[in-house]
Amino acid sequence: MLREYLRREAVFLLSAGIILFFIGFGAVRPDLLDSASSAVHAAILDNFSWLYLISAFFFLAFALALGLSRYGTIKLGYDAERPQYGFFGWVAMLFAAGMGIGLLFWGVSEPLVHFLQPPPFIDAASPDAAAFAMRYAFFHWGIHPWAIYTIVSLSIAYFSFRRGMPALISSCFYPVLGERIYGAAGNVVDVLAVFATVFGTATSLGFGALQIHSGLTHLYGLSSAISVTIGIILIATALFMASAILGVEKGVQVLSKLNIVLATVLLVLVLALGSAPYVLNVFTSTLGGYINNIIDLSFQSYPFAGFEWSRDWTVFYWAWWISWSPFVGLFIARISRGRTIREFVLTVLTVPTLFTFVWFAIFGGSALHLELEEGANLAAVAGEDVSLALFAFLEHYPFAGLLSLAAIFLLIVFFITSADSATVVLGSLTSGGGLVVPNYKKVVWGLSLSAVAIVLLVTGGLSSLQVMAITAAFPFMLVMIGLCYTLAIGLSQEKVPE
Amino acid sequence: MFEKTLIPVAYGERPEEVRKVGTILKSLGAGSVCLYHVNEPGSFFRGADLSWLTLLAEALEETGLAVEVKTGEGHIASAIAETALLEGVDGIYMKAKRRWHIETMLLGSVSRDLLRLADVPVFVHKVRPRLPDDGAEPDHSDLAVLYATDLDEASARPLPYVMEFRGAWCHVLHVRGRMADPLAERVRREAVDEQLNAVAEELRPYFGRVTAEQRIGNPAAQVLHVSDRIEADVVVLGRKSPAFLSAPMGDTAERIVTGSSASIFLVPQPGSRNAS
Repeated sequence: MLREYLRREAVFLLSAGIILFFIGFGAVRPDLLDSASSAVHAAILDNFSWLYLISAFFFLAFALALGLSRYGTIKLGYDAERPQYGFFGWVAMLFAAGMGIGLLFWGVSEPLVHFLQPPPFIDAASPDAAAFAMRYAFFHWGIHPWAIYTIVSLSIAYFSFRRGMPALISSCFYPVLGERIYGAAGNVVDVLAVFATVFGTATSLGFGALQIHSGLTHLYGLSSAISVTIGIILIATALFMASAILGVEKGVQVLSKLNIVLATVLLVLVLALGSAPYVLNVFTSTLGGYINNIIDLSFQSYPFAGFEWSRDWTVFYWAWWISWSPFVGLFIARISRGRTIREFVLTVLTVPTLFTFVWFAIFGGSALHLELEEGANLAAVAGEDVSLALFAFLEHYPFAGLLSLAAIFLLIVFFITSADSATVVLGSLTSGGGLVVPNYKKVVWGLSLSAVAIVLLVTGGLSSLQVMAITAAFPFMLVMIGLCYTLAIGLSQEKVPE
Repeated sequence: MFEKTLIPVAYGERPEEVRKVGTILKSLGAGSVCLYHVNEPGSFFRGADLSWLTLLAEALEETGLAVEVKTGEGHIASAIAETALLEGVDGIYMKAKRRWHIETMLLGSVSRDLLRLADVPVFVHKVRPRLPDDGAEPDHSDLAVLYATDLDEASARPLPYVMEFRGAWCHVLHVRGRMADPLAERVRREAVDEQLNAVAEELRPYFGRVTAEQRIGNPAAQVLHVSDRIEADVVVLGRKSPAFLSAPMGDTAERIVTGSSASIFLVPQPGSRNAS
């Protein structure tokens, strides 16, 4: 009986055990956790930052090759199956998947920080630095993250909808592992997916909590002590846990839709109230620069000057996206049943990417306009505290208080919806891919997400969040390379006309 | 199967070894032999006295085979393959020379090149089956044959040759990749079992025992593994056009020849030389 339980719940027990050990270790010896995680992180970056760059480009090339090849006609489902959602509904959901805390956190601050602190071969705060900043913001949030998500979601969708296997990462390894996917080897793959998801999501929740705190401090002069950030996380945890356990999915969905509308309104307002022609020029020229330089950007680690910069930004982002990929991948897979591979790849790679470009052009472009043309001191604020940049930026618009409040509301709702979804995804990943997740698992994962975010913030703040995202993503990157291989095997067995 | 056989020889071959080869070929049904020597351009022995070839021919004739001697020039494996075609031989017999694996990988070997280039079946004699020292014919009743097949149309080509070997045991092996899901895997396994049983039935009259097996994995590695496990004397397989990516490591047949202790009997696919 016990043996059977241990076998059935191996992934849950193992991953929860590792995460709880991590939380306990962080709570008791934060200094030791910091030094240990920094050592692992440094070792990964020193030796494998090139692998992140190559892998991300490979994922993009692989996804495009599949989409454009004869395999593009294969359906993610049975041949006669029709898509579960209409095209526009599907695109809207992809749109929503691309939205989140990250866009709010980095939308203003990333271009500003690149502008102020570019690699050493570019003059800081120069027009060149501005062009560089926007191009890299596009690059970090552009097609590569979606290629990373595409690999995971395509694999899950193919193996679960077309091959009838559970919606687990380990299922995708059947062509290589065979029945061993139900044993230790498969469990390791799923534990790595859980591990990546927990740290990837906790990083986002940490960013969100920091920014909510900064916003409240900025608006209402709240204390900037870390205890307030922890308090914000605890309140948000209570809210998303209640939502996850009480099963108020409908309510969360309504909130989620409201958030997308609100985010779009904020976007339009910033465009309308700022310098729209300037922003549109930034969008056009940055898009051109991005397309023109995409190969160079993809492989550029600036080994002779600016290596640190590349590691701190590009490698961090690639790792962050990889750690998010099981979560987003599972979501995208679920809404894409019945689509062809070509439709799936081309839409997932373009729609959210274009939306993100528009977001960065409007927020980043407007911020740079204020900085360069109107003498605002935004870059210095972002350089000092990235979480404050958005609110400092909104100060320059009419109804600044209202806009900031709307931004805080957006952050809180994004926090709740992301954490709620992550809890359900983690529960599903540790329940054999089923959609019905026992409440005790939701409690464990919900609390774990928040506890990890708190531990990381207490241990070293923003840098600790980044360190753990990179560390947790590394083994999953190797899993993703394996996914490409197994997907290729699976597709090669399909009877597709030449 | 070896009615007329081409035996490539090089300076330094010993007549008693060639005599043993004659005996084994006779036991495999050979009637005549073309003893063939290739002068490499720039070779030290080029144009030198070829009386050693006559000695080898005489040793072969003692086994009752009709022998003709021929010489050629150029790249060794290409010249052998070309002459085999021109002379209309049924097969090429060659004794594998011991070489370090790394040496073979870097420099290649005549047998590996020949496997790639020949348009007629090639028998590469390795450690097994051991040739009797007393000059007696090898005992067929002990012969263990491993027949590796892809179960497609091209792979059926070696089947008549397998039958000719006769012997104690024939083990039919099919190596394949795993299907992408458990259901497809089960269906495939059952279909392969059925096909293997059909092949085994065809071979049953020619061997004391016929067994069949399917394995999942790398074809070369699995063939070598099974060959060692059953201590096969001969591995029979068909040659296919190698995939582009196999070039650095050699294709399946080449890797088996390099790693196997059993002799290899390779039956080329018609027209596959151009593709390779």
